[in-house]
Amino acid sequence: MGVLESYTYVLVILVLALNTMMSIYGIVYRPSLVKKLIALTILSDTVFIAIIFVGYIFVHPLVPPVYTGAIPGETEYLAKHASDPLPQALVLTGIVIGLAVNALIAFGIIQAYRLAGTTDARKLVKSLVEEGVE
Amino acid sequence: MILPLLIIAVSALLSLVFVYMAITEKDLLKAVAFSAGQSICYAILLQVMAAPDIAMTYIAVSVGLYSAILLFTISKTERYEEVGK
Amino acid sequence: MRSGYVAMALVVIAALLPLVFVSVVPVDVPRALRELGKYYVLNTIKDSASPEAVAAVVWDYRGLDTIYETVVLYLAIVGGLAIFRISREVAKRAIIGLTVLTQTATKVIALLIATISSAIALHGHLTPGGGFPGGSALAITSMLIVPVFSVYSLLERGITSTRLIAVRGLALTALGLVALLPVIRGLEIVTNQRFYPAGLGPFVISGSISMYNLFEFFAVASGFTAVAIYLSIPEELYRAELGVGGA
Repeated sequence: MGVLESYTYVLVILVLALNTMMSIYGIVYRPSLVKKLIALTILSDTVFIAIIFVGYIFVHPLVPPVYTGAIPGETEYLAKHASDPLPQALVLTGIVIGLAVNALIAFGIIQAYRLAGTTDARKLVKSLVEEGVE
Repeated sequence: MILPLLIIAVSALLSLVFVYMAITEKDLLKAVAFSAGQSICYAILLQVMAAPDIAMTYIAVSVGLYSAILLFTISKTERYEEVGK
Repeated sequence: MRSGYVAMALVVIAALLPLVFVSVVPVDVPRALRELGKYYVLNTIKDSASPEAVAAVVWDYRGLDTIYETVVLYLAIVGGLAIFRISREVAKRAIIGLTVLTQTATKVIALLIATISSAIALHGHLTPGGGFPGGSALAITSMLIVPVFSVYSLLERGITSTRLIAVRGLALTALGLVALLPVIRGLEIVTNQRFYPAGLGPFVISGSISMYNLFEFFAVASGFTAVAIYLSIPEELYRAELGVGGA
């Protein structure tokens, strides 16, 4: 039982690190602007899961931090068996702000396609250099 | 105690597959579908980690709104990305 | 190398590496809440009259952050309106939505989603949920309605994106008023229990938390419906506005 808990703990950390590495590779090395946006959303989602994983404790009946009035002595029960509410509040704010920024980036991609005719980042840079914009 | 840990391990490994397929796919519509699959794996992970508030918000935003906005964007721009030119 | 094989190799390596690591190094897992989280869980009913700790942290203990986040979302939607701006009226065209079968199914689904999302938003101070999940669920309904019933049927009924952004602005104003009202009596802004009542007759409303959830619900839903409408107007009108040729 202890081995399974330690294994899951290290496995989740390893998978989150691999996801972060692959999404940063996607942002830097893939030429299409839409693919860069998809990789950016994957990166921010992975970071949110890492933040909530900080508030996860390995007790058996893990409940969300909500008072239901069904258990006698609920305050002591929740102090031992509830997950942490603070990372959840921070991630809620982060999801909404990430949504706003990603929606703006998508609108910017549409406008760039209208003006330059391509969504390939290398061709965009080449056409900007030829026009003489620094 | 075994079942929650097993679900966490399986959905974490499944999300690894989806992220790899989403980053290396040249057809952008399929990449959006793989990204939605990765969001579902993360939502299962969030529910098992006892964060139901975040799970609801995350499913509505990531599977619903991101896929819709990306589909609108792809339909107004190009569908295939050209790697290696 | 085909990408299926690479993915399988990645999964096998990621599944075996922690086993090797755990058998060599002893790893200790966390089993107790941190001090700040324990304070929020133990004192949420006393400080903010809401049995849900996450809603209390989002709207009461750290309420100012959430007000700023709502303003950021508003600015993003208005910034999109600056890109998708048309100076002339959109010409009316024949309505070419999808088949009758799809439209009937969408009507039933839209009604069910509207009910569920208002339940999620209005119960945000008692159960997990709140303004953001409810508003996003209703926004998904609008993103579903726009292709099925074709955006011209919405424009004909007077639901344009500028009017929806005006509704969004009104909801944001109401949110700001609920936050600023305690200043009249000399308290700080975003005060909950020292100014607003915890219950209204037989209902528990947790002071300002349920009002914040209600206004946030309308704000998010109307904002993203406006986004869906101005993303569905065809490209020729925008290109004519910008003065570039078709591509």
